[in-house]
Parts: sequence; C-alpha cells; structure tokens
Amino acid sequence: MKILIIEDEPKTGDYLKQGLTEAGMVVDLARDGWDGLHLACNIEAGKQAYDLLILDVMLPGLDGWQVLEGVRRAGMSMPVLFLTARDQVADRVKGLELGADDYLVKPFAFIELLARVRSLLRRGKSSIEPTVLKVADLELDLLSRRALRAGKRIDLTAKEFTLLELLLRRQGEVLPRTLIASQVWDMNFDSDTNVVEVAVRRLRAKVDDGFEPKLIQTVRGMGYRLEAPAPAPVSAAQPP
Amino acid sequence: MNLNSLSLTARLSLLFAASAVIVLLGLGWVVERAVQNHFIEMDRHEIEGKLSLVRNLLASAPNAAALAAVPAQLENALVGHQHLQVTVFAADGTVWFTSGRVQFPQQRAGDTLQWLAWSDARQAYRGVLAGLKTAHAPLFSIAIAQDISHHEVFMRDFRRTLAMLTTLAALLTAGLGWAATRAGLRPLRRVAAMATQIEASRLGERLPGSQVPAEIETLVAAFNAMLARLEDSFRRLNEFSSDIAHELRTPISNLMTQTQVALNAAYEGEVAGEKYREILYSSLEEYERMAQMIADMLFIAQADNGLLQTGQGEVDLSSETRALFDYFDAWAEERGITLALEDLREPHAPPLTGDRLMLRRALSNLLVNAIRHTAQGNTVWVRLASAQGNLSISVENPGPDIAAEHLPRLFDRFYRVDPSRQRDRTQQRDRTKQLDKASEGAGLGLAIVKSIVVAHGGSVQVISNAGCTRFQLVF
Repeated sequence: MKILIIEDEPKTGDYLKQGLTEAGMVVDLARDGWDGLHLACNIEAGKQAYDLLILDVMLPGLDGWQVLEGVRRAGMSMPVLFLTARDQVADRVKGLELGADDYLVKPFAFIELLARVRSLLRRGKSSIEPTVLKVADLELDLLSRRALRAGKRIDLTAKEFTLLELLLRRQGEVLPRTLIASQVWDMNFDSDTNVVEVAVRRLRAKVDDGFEPKLIQTVRGMGYRLEAPAPAPVSAAQPP
Repeated sequence: MNLNSLSLTARLSLLFAASAVIVLLGLGWVVERAVQNHFIEMDRHEIEGKLSLVRNLLASAPNAAALAAVPAQLENALVGHQHLQVTVFAADGTVWFTSGRVQFPQQRAGDTLQWLAWSDARQAYRGVLAGLKTAHAPLFSIAIAQDISHHEVFMRDFRRTLAMLTTLAALLTAGLGWAATRAGLRPLRRVAAMATQIEASRLGERLPGSQVPAEIETLVAAFNAMLARLEDSFRRLNEFSSDIAHELRTPISNLMTQTQVALNAAYEGEVAGEKYREILYSSLEEYERMAQMIADMLFIAQADNGLLQTGQGEVDLSSETRALFDYFDAWAEERGITLALEDLREPHAPPLTGDRLMLRRALSNLLVNAIRHTAQGNTVWVRLASAQGNLSISVENPGPDIAAEHLPRLFDRFYRVDPSRQRDRTQQRDRTKQLDKASEGAGLGLAIVKSIVVAHGGSVQVISNAGCTRFQLVF
C-alpha cells in the first residue's frame, strides 16, 4: 500500500509519515502543492503509483483544492482524504464535490486517521462478503445473527452484535472510541462520556470471560482491538 | 438638501416660521375681506342717499316747468361731491342730466336696483342704476357712480403692509424659534454629552433618568437598557477570555511540569519504557481534552456568528431520543439509573425541521448532564409535548435543587455551579479516571445545547425545585 502525503507543516508531515510507515505502509511526503500534484500523477508499472492521497487544504502555492482538481483532471482515481484546520460546512462540501472521499478536521487523533486510511484502502477491493466472521474460536454468523465462542452460543443484544461485527471485520486494527460510537450507534460527536468503554466492557464479559485467549484488547489512550494474540505485545493488552 | 439631515433646531425654526406665515396670511385675508365689505357698505350708503335725493327732486316736481328746474337743483346738491356723479337718462336713452363724464356700462334700468362695479382706463367705480316713473314726465333712469379709486389705493397699501409684516414676523418667529428650540433641547445635548463620557471601561455608569424631561426619559431608559445589555455581554466576553486562558493554562502547565520532571529523572533500565509510556498516556489525555475543548469552542463561536446551517430535514424527536437511550443505556445502567420516555404530543403535532445531527447532540448533552446529576436508583425522564404549534422536549432528573442565582447562567460557557470544581479538575480526574473519564466536562455542554437550540429558532429553560431539575427546549 503506497500513500502520498501532501502537507507543508513540517512536524505534521513527518509524524504522519512516521506513523503510517510504522503501521506498515509505504509513504511518500510532498511539502507543497506543485510537488504533490507532480508525484500524485506518477504512473508505475502501468498503474497509479499511489493507492491513497492524504491532502492538506492549506498549502503554499497550489492549495489542496487545486491539487485535488489537478489530480482528478489527470484521470487519477485513487481515494483522497483531506485534512483541514477549518471545520466549515462549506469546506467539507467543497472537498467532497471536488472528488475527495473523506476528510478530517485538525486536530485529529492519529488512530482516527489510521482507521480512516485503512477503511479507504479497503474500499474498492471487492471481495465476496463472508457470511461468517471468524477469529480464533470465535464465530459470528451474520445471517442467523448468532455468535459462538468455542462452540458455545453467546447471547448478544443487537448493538453488542453490531459492535462485535465491527471489531471482527476490522480485526487487528485499533478502533478509536469515536469511530465505534459513530459506526455502531451513529453518534458522530464526542459525548464526553465513557459509554463506549462500558459497552466494550460488557461485550468483553460475554465474549472473553471464561475463555482463552482474550480476544478484545484495550489499547490505552487509543481504542480497542480484536485480535487473536498469537505473539501479542505485552503492553497492548490491559485489563479493563 | 436632505430634509432628514437638517438639524432639529433648524427644522423647528423653519416650522415655526411657516406656521407664523400661514397664521398671518389667514388673518390678513380676513381683515382685508372685512375692510373691503365695510367700504362697499359705506359706498352703497352714500349712493343710496344721493339716489333718494334725486328721486325726491324728480318725483316732487309738480309740472314740466318745475322739472326743468331740477338739473340746477341737482347741481347745487352735488357741490362738494366731486367723486360722485349723477346721470339721469331719458326714456329714449339720451342723457337728460349729468354731473360728470363717467361712462356707464348700462343705461336702461330695470324694475329693481342694479348695483354695478366697473373701471375705465384710469379709475374704478361703483354705482347703481334705478328706474323712476313720475306722473307727468317720461321714464327716467337714474345712474349714480362713485369713484372708489381711493379705496383701491388704500387696499394696495394695506396689502403691502401686510406682506411686509408677514415677512418680518416670519423672520422674527424663525429667530425666536431657533433660540427657543436651542434652549428647549438643552437637556438632550446634556444627555448626549453624558453619553459621550461613557467608555468601554465604564459601562457600569448610567444616565440619570430623573433629571430629564418626560420626552427624553424613554430615550434615556432605552439607552440605559442598552448599556446594561452591553455591560452584560462585555462581562461575559471578559470572563470568557479569562476562562479560556485558565482552562488552557492548567493542562499546559501540567504537561510542562510532567515533561520537565520526566526529563530530569532520566529513568533507566527495565522501568524506563513503562515510565515514559505512562507519561505519554497522561499527556495524551490532556491533549485530547484540549482538542475537544477547542472543537467545542469553535462550534459555539460559529453558532454565535450565525454560521450554523440547520437544514430543513424533518427530525423525529421520539426516535432520536430512543436512539440516544440505546446509546446511553449501558452507561446509565451501570450507574443504576433508568431512562424513560413519555410522549405527550398531540396526534398531529408538526414535525421539527432542522439538523438531525445537531439536535441529537443537544439532546445527548442534556441527557449526559441529567444522568451525571442523578443519584443511583432514580429515573431520568424525557418528555415530548406539543401545544399551539410549538414542540417541547424536556429532560428531567431528580436531584438536589440548583440555587436560583445559578439558573440564568447555566447555559453560559464554562459556567459551573460549584466553583470549587471549576479549577480543580486534575485531581478529580485522577480519582475518577477509571470510573468515568468525564465527570469533568469542560463546562461547554449546556452552552452547546443553547447554541444549537437558538440556531433552530428555539429557546431553552431550566427549572429546579422540589428536588427535581428540568431542562426544557421549546421550538
């Protein structure tokens, strides 16, 4: 997965590059609009060089909108995530109209960016939707809406099922609380409560209590991850 | 010249002058009519006197010889009456007698008296024409003319004097009016001078309402009310700025101290990684809180500047409430609190139009607030109602009463009922971190509720008595 970041703020650019590289992606960084546009239009081995563009709106020279227009005019179809410091409805609408796929308002949590990047990269990879999701001995049947752990039926509420489905679909990824609240309950704002923690704790009690290994992990300060901890990093999994 | 920009003094002076002119012209017209009528009356009286004299002389002549002597008698009688001319026409229209050279516009008399007024090249006349039948003489027509030029001269002089007087009076009234207006408007100038003295730093001052005329009193009252509102806004703005500074200072100073301590300590060995990690987690929490606060502040600032677009979507409050219950249920249950919805809306109550996401956020903030302030084992009630085309939604929780002095300011940014909680969140957070990261909202939740509701053209109220606090939104 190759990603191009176009960001003029030096620290932001460096940290984004470092973070995404550590998350296992190949990242290039352009410091201004012209370089960015030039790089974004590269073709390698007969296909677009980059799978995703992360674009800052406020750029010297050519601004983010113009880069986006240029990229689309050149026939590039990779997804574009834009970053903006101004949370104005008009800005969002403009970005989406120009062909951006998602946006994040600064300041944002890196884990949020990572989740969105992964989601955008997965998009378009049309695979046959599985009807049963599995990890370790946990099984989730999406059609009959049943959950089994080690062959035993687990009783879940509708929201718990949705939450578990989300964690399973994106297993191995750290999902930030805001993303969980938005995907499971359609709450697109920070309610300043530990509602998600409570919900995850309850789900964990049903899914992990009395079973080994523990699948749902809390990544402190970031969010939650569902993963079969084959060689799990010791510090990532913590008790609630 | 634009009349609206004319000074009040000039305007009033002009109005005074115009009034004086109108009154004097009216009066002049009445006097002129009276004088004219008086002249006519006088002339007729004199003419009628002469007419009866001529009639008598003619009628009393017993025979033709006596009749022949009448002209001489007439001449005598008219001595000293230069402005009066008597002419007697015979039946055939010829002049039988005349005392002057004035031409009459008519020679033949009818059965009744005919009053005439006419003028030739030099003079104006008034006259009468009357018929006379004597026993032994042919029909006579008596015509008497009076020269009234001197009246005309008098009237011309009178009019000229009147015009002069009017002009003079107008000027005088304008001048006096100007002086009077200036004197009369002195209180207004005094008020303006006092208003000029009030500066941003002295918004607490008020104009004295008792020492001004009644007309200005309402103006002064309105001005004072405006000052009060300004003072209030200024005060809030000042508090707001210092609140922001304070809210940011605490986390930043924490971060700095923490970082400096860590740099000084130079941990080593096994524990080092864990120690540093701990510090980073702690910093992250501060950063997240600051980021959230900034986002909330920007949202409120947008709302204050009227930049929130509320959209025209239909929002079903009851399904929104249920969605929120769904979200908060587990959290409330852990705290031993029940959430309940009561829908008291009329069957055909109009739906609410607006932005679903924003309204959901407002409701969510109210619910979080209510759940936080409810003791274990109690119920938070959400009630929907409608009346006269208005929709209302209230969130009610049992809990200690909020003192009345706090109620109007609950929706202010950063306002907290308990001031001791205000500046001391760090310790509290450490205590409650594992339980609930959020018993320390930034104090912006209710301000956001108000911004959203106001942007939707609604209003917010809060009532707190008898162990029950109720927040109500009316749209």
